[in-house]
Amino acid sequence: MEEFFNNIKESFKEATLEFETINIKIDSTEWIDVHKKLRDEFNLKFFSWLSAIDWDNEVSVGEAPKESVSPSFEIITCLSDLDNTNLVTVSTSISKSEPNINSLIDVYAGANWHEREAYEMFGINFENHPNLEKLYLPDGYEGNPMLKSFELISREVKPWPGDVDVEGMPEESESDGSVDG
Amino acid sequence: MVNALDPQNMNSFSEASVSVEIETEDMTLNIGPQHPSTHGVLRLVAKVDGEKVHDVKPVLGYMHRGYEKLAEVRSYPQITTLVNRIDWVAGFSNEIPFIAGAERLMEIEVPERAKHIRLILTEMARISSHFVFNGAYALEVGALTPIFYAMEDRERVLDLIESVTGGRFHPNFNRIGGVKPAAGAGPTSKKNIQDLPAGFYRDTKVAMEKVIQAADQFQNLIGGNEVFKKRTKNVGVLTAETAEAYGVSGPILRASGVKSDLRTQTDYLPYDQFDYDIPVGENGDCYDRWDVRVKEMVESAKIVLQAIDSMPSGPLQAKVPKVIKVPQGRTYVRAENPKGEMGYYIVSDGGLGPYRLKVRTASFSNVSILPIMLEGALLPDLIAIMGSLDFVLGDVDR
Amino acid sequence: MTEVLVKVGFLAIAALNGAIIFTIMDVKGASWMQRRPGPLHVGLRGFIFPLAEILKFVQKEDIIPTEVDRPVFKWAPAYVMVSCVALFAVVPMSPTLVVADLELGVFFALAISSLGTIGVLTAGWSSANKYSLMGGLRAAGQLIAYELPLILAVVGVVIQAETMSLVGIVEKQIEWGVPFVVGGQIVGFLIFMVAATAEMMRVPFDMPIGESELTMGFMTEYSGIRFLIFYISEYMNMFILCAIASTLFLGGYHVPLLPTEWVNFYGPVVLLTKTAILGFILVAIRWSQPRFREDQLQNLAWKILIPASLVNILVTAVMKVGF
Repeated sequence: MEEFFNNIKESFKEATLEFETINIKIDSTEWIDVHKKLRDEFNLKFFSWLSAIDWDNEVSVGEAPKESVSPSFEIITCLSDLDNTNLVTVSTSISKSEPNINSLIDVYAGANWHEREAYEMFGINFENHPNLEKLYLPDGYEGNPMLKSFELISREVKPWPGDVDVEGMPEESESDGSVDG
Repeated sequence: MVNALDPQNMNSFSEASVSVEIETEDMTLNIGPQHPSTHGVLRLVAKVDGEKVHDVKPVLGYMHRGYEKLAEVRSYPQITTLVNRIDWVAGFSNEIPFIAGAERLMEIEVPERAKHIRLILTEMARISSHFVFNGAYALEVGALTPIFYAMEDRERVLDLIESVTGGRFHPNFNRIGGVKPAAGAGPTSKKNIQDLPAGFYRDTKVAMEKVIQAADQFQNLIGGNEVFKKRTKNVGVLTAETAEAYGVSGPILRASGVKSDLRTQTDYLPYDQFDYDIPVGENGDCYDRWDVRVKEMVESAKIVLQAIDSMPSGPLQAKVPKVIKVPQGRTYVRAENPKGEMGYYIVSDGGLGPYRLKVRTASFSNVSILPIMLEGALLPDLIAIMGSLDFVLGDVDR
Repeated sequence: MTEVLVKVGFLAIAALNGAIIFTIMDVKGASWMQRRPGPLHVGLRGFIFPLAEILKFVQKEDIIPTEVDRPVFKWAPAYVMVSCVALFAVVPMSPTLVVADLELGVFFALAISSLGTIGVLTAGWSSANKYSLMGGLRAAGQLIAYELPLILAVVGVVIQAETMSLVGIVEKQIEWGVPFVVGGQIVGFLIFMVAATAEMMRVPFDMPIGESELTMGFMTEYSGIRFLIFYISEYMNMFILCAIASTLFLGGYHVPLLPTEWVNFYGPVVLLTKTAILGFILVAIRWSQPRFREDQLQNLAWKILIPASLVNILVTAVMKVGF
């Protein structure tokens, strides 16, 4: 893992290692090239997933970020190698006004459905995708549900009561456990 | 006599031209969402030419419950309840990577005993999931009897899970920092928290021996059946390269000859303390996928037996704050679930709930190879291939 | 006229009873092999189970979808059932206890047995459902493929018996002292049973129904009483084909050593016993085997069964002429 990280570090200066996961932040213009390189040179052939995060200060669901962020979409892919020991996430930022990025299908065929999901949930446009259409949602559905601005209607009607965990936790676990032994 | 084959006469003999070259129109067949073999509500729109299938288009979303969105408005302990329902055939194993992710971000060291209990129940969930697969797969290739045996044997395992957690399918048993006291463990006081019900070790040993017997029985009665072999060998061959590019994981990937198992490669549970094999297939056909799962049942039973013998004593729960707030950060924890790699990408902003929770499910990627595997297959093979992928729609749609 | 009515009534009742006996045998075999308590222990040790089954279907609504070809859809089940009942006419239960001892009894039986499949095809076609249609077409393909080995297997028996009357064939076996299955037609018997299993569309040849593939095949759109008719016809067909197999190969109503004067009394019992034994084998196969694939089914018929039955005819003929 360490050795692999050092190899990655040679190509990607800003790579960080956190919780046994190598995070690489790149510019959205190098999206395809970086993935090709990771696949061919670093043998990261296993495509785990692709998804996005909607960074926004004004949210209608959940909590807004504590520190102000610049509104953008962060797109993340997760790759691992043949023996699944090395885990790499690649992320990039794209603007919310022009949410365009190249499709990864030519590099990883498995990106197809993940990109379709990101397309319908966030409204991100994947260029050169062969059939960029809705995956889960019905055809006439309007809006992108995973956007932070997309309201969760039930939560508007009735706020969730459980901000505080209602069930008491066992505080002092002094028992030695089983009765069975 | 007018020559019907002459192109000039074709128009006036449009009916005659049919007999010259039979060009049949493909029939669009809609398989599902209500179909006995689609494991729930998967829908396939396929073009069929006689029995041959091509241009298969899976249509998803009939089971979409939007868990990623719902998770954004819930606190961490509440999300455990949600994620239980992703792959309901192995409910317990869904909780593990999420809880492990939250613990990793909070830097909580989970007590060994809690880890062992988690491991035992995860393996039991794997066994029960593979039992369902075994019964259902035999049913899909036309054998009606094995499902009754599979369900009966699974019941023993589910009873054990129930005796510990209180739930058969949706245990909701994990807590951040450990596990909750067992359901059947009798009265609990703050001083003496009992975790496993009386007689659990004995019952588990009996049940696991039965699992090994049952797997042996499956190997002989289903795997040794000539018709079953004819239906599954060299059907739906999946190469390792395609599987990797599509993110196909779990028993399907191992059946294609890749020895990859997250249990040995990551440390979300203490699997390194036990001795077990990772079954690997050779051809990547339906038979291998079936075979790998049956062998895995035996290995899981062995792990459980070892874990019972080496169960450490100690507390069940690490010290956690009363109100759980996960520090800012992000992590991806993956686990080897019965269906493949399942993981949660938790993006925390230091609040009560995650800012974003990405759920990576095994079945989603596993199903995405269907259009490739089903190209040119026969209709009965379509069912055999689909069944061998062993997906659950809750796991596909989330 | 009365005689005809009596005969038709007898046929219907006998065939229905045979079907009910086979239904009981099938569900009991299933529950025995699958450890299901229902048909084994509930209600007079499970023997009133078929009654409950029939009552259940009778009280259900008979749904006829809007798009179906109504008359064809409605009559297809009756067509299947009538062909099964008619088949029973030539099966002798003793030299005199036979509805119609036709000169060409074998010929009649084989011709009628293929009519049922046409009923299945019409059911599949008229249902206006793609699964039903595929089920019907599979049934047609199966009929064409397996009618041939069925007939060719019987040809061996006909050569050996020198008659096509079913009574004549049994009498010949009595004359020989051993049934044909021992007396040289073992291959013919096996081919006949395999082909008959395919004809009655039972596991491992139940592709026209194939519930995991085609939901319920040609029966998908049927419900209530019409589904019941299909359901009973299946067992009727099974009963009658087993009865014919017992007659052709197992000595029919006769067992050696029993006095032939009493054949009118023990004949039906003997025939039923032999039929039930064959039926039990089919039940055991049904609940223990998966289903073949459609192309494997065709391969089995055209590449194995038909050549084998031709060789069987050749050998039989040579033996007949040579000895």
